[in-house]
Parts: sequence; C-alpha cells; structure tokens
Amino acid sequence: MGERVRRLDRGGFEDLKSPRTHRPTGIGATGGGRSARVLDTEGTRMEHHGAIVAEGLVKVYNGSIRAVDGVSFEVAPGEAFGFLGPNGAGKTTTVSMLSAGLKPTQGRAMVGGIEVGRDPEEVKRRIGVIFQESTADGDLTGRENLEVAAGCYGISPSEAHERSEALIEQMQLTDAADRYAKTYSGGMRRRLELAVGLVHRPKILFLDEPTLGLDPQGRAGFWGFIQKLRRETGVTVFITTHYLDEADTMCDRLAIIDHGKIVATGTPNELKDRLGGDVVTLKTGNDRKDLTELIRPLAGVASVQKQDGTYRIKCASGETFVPIAVEACARAGAGVTGVTVKRPSLDEVFLELTGREFREDEGPTATDRAVILQRVQGAMSGRR
Amino acid sequence: MLTELAALTRREFLKLARNPQAILTSLMLPLLYLLLFGQGFNINPAQFLPPGSPPAEVHQVVLTYFRGAPDYYSYFAAGMVGFVSVTATLFIGANVIFDKLFGIFKRTRGTPAPSAAVFGSRLIAGAAQPIALAFFVLGLALLFGRIPGLNGMDVTANVGALGAVEIVLAIVLLSLMFATLFLMFGILLEVPQTYFAAVNLLNLPVLLTSDALYPWGSMPTWLRNVSQYNPVSLAVNVLRETLFGASYYPYSAGVYLLGLFAWSAVLIALAIFLVARALRPVE
Repeated sequence: MGERVRRLDRGGFEDLKSPRTHRPTGIGATGGGRSARVLDTEGTRMEHHGAIVAEGLVKVYNGSIRAVDGVSFEVAPGEAFGFLGPNGAGKTTTVSMLSAGLKPTQGRAMVGGIEVGRDPEEVKRRIGVIFQESTADGDLTGRENLEVAAGCYGISPSEAHERSEALIEQMQLTDAADRYAKTYSGGMRRRLELAVGLVHRPKILFLDEPTLGLDPQGRAGFWGFIQKLRRETGVTVFITTHYLDEADTMCDRLAIIDHGKIVATGTPNELKDRLGGDVVTLKTGNDRKDLTELIRPLAGVASVQKQDGTYRIKCASGETFVPIAVEACARAGAGVTGVTVKRPSLDEVFLELTGREFREDEGPTATDRAVILQRVQGAMSGRR
Repeated sequence: MLTELAALTRREFLKLARNPQAILTSLMLPLLYLLLFGQGFNINPAQFLPPGSPPAEVHQVVLTYFRGAPDYYSYFAAGMVGFVSVTATLFIGANVIFDKLFGIFKRTRGTPAPSAAVFGSRLIAGAAQPIALAFFVLGLALLFGRIPGLNGMDVTANVGALGAVEIVLAIVLLSLMFATLFLMFGILLEVPQTYFAAVNLLNLPVLLTSDALYPWGSMPTWLRNVSQYNPVSLAVNVLRETLFGASYYPYSAGVYLLGLFAWSAVLIALAIFLVARALRPVE
C-alpha cells in the first residue's frame, strides 16, 4: 500500500510542480493538462483533459427532490474553480458526488483522470477534501490528527511523521502541534484540516465552504495558505463558498448554481461584464441644470438616469468615464461635487441570472470598494 | 490494509487512554457487583435441607444447585466474566455515532482506508476493553478468595494449559461477538437515542435469559432450555466447567466453544455484510 502511494506521488503530485504552460480563461475553457483515457459505462474509449469533469450529473433524493439537475462542467489542471450558489443550491451534493461520497442518480464524473463510479478508492487517493463542518479529532493532538490521516492513505508511520512535521511548519502550527485539536481556535482548526487534506499530496483539492464561521482574519489567513499552495504545487482547487468576495479573488473561473442547475460559467470579470460594465454615480453643484444629454454621448455610456440631482450612469469602464465626465460637467458650469464608481458585484450577477439576491445583506464587497477606489484615484491623477 | 488498520487502531487507543473517567467507570460496575452483590447475595441451598443432614448430601445439593461450583460466589463470579464481556461493549457503537455527529467518521470515509480497516480498528479497540475487564473480574474474584472475611472464587478443578486457553477463547469470542454486534448498530444507526434503545432491547434479554447470574438449581426448566443456546451461557459454561469440573454439564467445554464460535461466525458475517453495504457511497 505504501509503495503504491509513493509511486502515485512520483507520477502524480510531483508532475504538477512543473510550470503550467496554459491557463484557461474563457467561458467553458478546459485547459491543457494531461489527457486521461478511460472507459465509459458502455465500455467505449473516451478522452478527457480536465482534472475534474462532470457530465450531466443528477442527484435525486427520495425519488422526487432533484438536488442536482444535470450539472456539466470541466475544470482544468491547476485551475481554481469556484462553485457558487445559495444554501440548498446543490453545491455540497455535487462535491459529494465528485469526491466519491455519493452516487449520482444519473450522469458521471471523472476526477484526476479516473471515473468516480468505477474506482472511487483511487479517486480518494488523488483528492483532498476540506469539509464544510469541522472534522478534526478534538481528542487527538494536531500532530496525531495528521499521522492518523496519513495512515489512512497507506503512508508508512515514518513517512507520515516526516510529512506531518513539514505540514505543521507550513501551516504555522508548530507551537500547537502537541495540543489537543479541541483547544485550537477556529482558524487553527481550519489550517489543521487543510494540512490533513494535504498529507497525501493530492492533485486536486475540494474546499467545501472552507471559511464558514471564520472571522475575517481567519478567512484571510486560510486563503493565503491556499494561494501559496497553488503557487508552489499547482494543485487544482474546487471551491464552494458563500462569500462572493472570496470567490471573486480566489477563483480563475466560476460556475453559478441555482436550484441544482448551472446558470452561468466564466471568469469573475466575464460574469460581471455581462451586466454592462460599471455603475457611476455623479453629483454636481448645480441641481437645476439637467446634464443628462451632456453625459449620454460620452465614451462608453450605456444609460443615464437622473434622480434628485444625482446621475446614475451605466458605462463600460468607470475609470475611463469619470475623468471625461468630470471635465465635461466643469465645462458646462456644473462642477462635480461627488462621484462613486461601483463594479457590478457577483451578487448582482446572481440577481441578474436568477432574479433573486444571493444573500440579502450582500452589497459591494470591501475588496470591490478598495479596487475601484484605487482605479478611480489612479485614473484621475493620470488626467491631471 | 495493515497500515490503515494500525493508524486507525492507534487513534482508538489514544482516545481510550485520554478518557480515564470512562475506564474508571467501566471498572466500577464489576467491582460493585463483586464487592457488594456477590458478598450480600451468597445464597446457600443447604439452608433448605433438614437440620442434621449428612455433609455428603449437603455437598451434593450445593454442587447440583451451582453446577459443580462450591458456592454461589464462585458460580456468580464466573457468570460475571460473561456479564462484563457484554456490558463493556455497550458504548462501542455509541462512539461511532458521536464520531458521525462530529464529522470525524465522514473524514475517515473520505479516505481510501478500506471498510475492513475502519471496522477492524474499532472492533480491536472495542473488544480489548471487555476482554481486559473480564480478566480483571476473574483476577479480582480469585483475589477476594484470599482475603479473610470476604467471599471469593474457589477454583476446585485442575486448570491446565488447555483449560486456560479455553477460558481465554471463551472470553475473546464472547467479547468480539458483542463488540461486533454493537459496532454494527453504531454504523447502521445515526441517532444516539435510537442506538441506546436498540442496545437495551437486546442487552437485557440476552443477559436475563442466560445463566450468568441465576443459580442453575433455581432456574425453571423452560429458562434452562432457553439459556443453553444463549451465547453468554455458552461462554460461562466453558469457564465454569474449566474452573469447577465438567461433571454437571452434558457437553465438554470444546462443544460449548464450538457453539460460541458458530454464534460469532454468524454475527460477524451478518455485520460484515451490513457494514460493507452501509460504508459504500450513499445511493
């Protein structure tokens, strides 16, 4: 068993350390990893290039509840793929089917080049899963949790010890390694669970709502580790999350799932661009003068609405539009007294695609606001 | 398979070692039975004989009443070994249910560790407890016999190497059988309340239809007939025959061991079938 794991490591995980030559970006992009030749259920040979391939996955509970309803997508090797959706959309069910924990009612999935239904044990060897709920064993120390997990993958005790030491250091748990996991903070527990998920050096990592319940510092720390891991190993990451700002920052591509169906796939920017660019709000010092017709022909403007002396303008790019608009208003004798630029958030994308809010309290995220402010400031200083 | 089994078994023993309260509590039950119940309930059937009965007759009545054991305490102490082999396994399945509730079981199932390793590790750790406890009871009962003023177990037969092996086998088989059964319940059931209800439903009838605690001479015929097929009785018969002589038993200890082995084989086969089904990916 141990030899088998070592062989897989040499042929699998370490292969991923070589620099990637292709990073897919477009909608439906599939990337250029090694192809996997497998037999499908009818016995015909099929070829796939994705680290994760889902083909028409359906999961029906109790004969009538379609938790997942014909989901298909492909994740390229080395890609960070986000799976977004509200509670009950089918995210965790999809992860369970992909990680060999749940049998699909219909359809099939290939993970790491292996058809999940055919060889679930081999799939489990190639993936690491960080579950939504905490799964660290509180009565064991951090080190023991790691060593037991390594043993479950057939890794010999000496190798398990070495790997555990390395992961403890990597996850900055050295001081807490011999403490019971039940004494860990939420963030430390999550880091321990990440280490447990990595102890067998998987090629693909499934993160199911990994930062649920963590404070902002814990969330930032966790994603920092994931980013570092991706840089160093090129591991493929499949993320389900409620936090749209995290998905926006962390994922190369996203799929939005609602009522068990994928309603859109693309990069975060592609999805947001579907809404027609940025929304700029302008306030001038002269309320009596209507500047609608002055603004409408300016570069990239899609629509202008005036409300109580404030103009709400949808335009292709806020950073290009704002300096031009400010200058035009000044020339017309109505100096701009206030301006905000808002990039459409993924929540608005979700609203557009499904007709309902992702989360009631979701507004423009802190990340969005920081990025936009930086862009506007940069653009305005450039004009001056 | 062995690496996975060793890792998971280590986890079980680490958890066990970190719960001294549970170990202490598990010692209390047999200790109280041996120290209080056994001392206070040391029935002597000779008291029902007419005064002045010849000693040989008295002796014969006692031996018949306790199937060869010289007194109730000796008879009962051997029964207690069987009793604790069952009661100490009660929590083995509950631990699985709590591990399910805390997500630990899900994590283990997310690894490629074979179902046999998942089941086997818990069985080894789960059966080790009742086996250790059974020998604790046996040792304590023998020790009490050497303390003046206390009733204790009086071994009246010559226990050779074969006898010792038979005793060990009986204890191991009985503990393994019930550990398997309750572990199976733990894997199949999801709610602690349901588990404890199921365990109590099984545990009490099994113990109360055995001859572990009742004096043989006071049992009605129908209960004797039922009890001879009871696995607890089969194990206890092996112990009593080996410790006090085979004269009062229709079969040899080997036959009772065979019966015990048959019970174990059936229950373990059933558990393997059901557990393997339960540990497959959810349909």
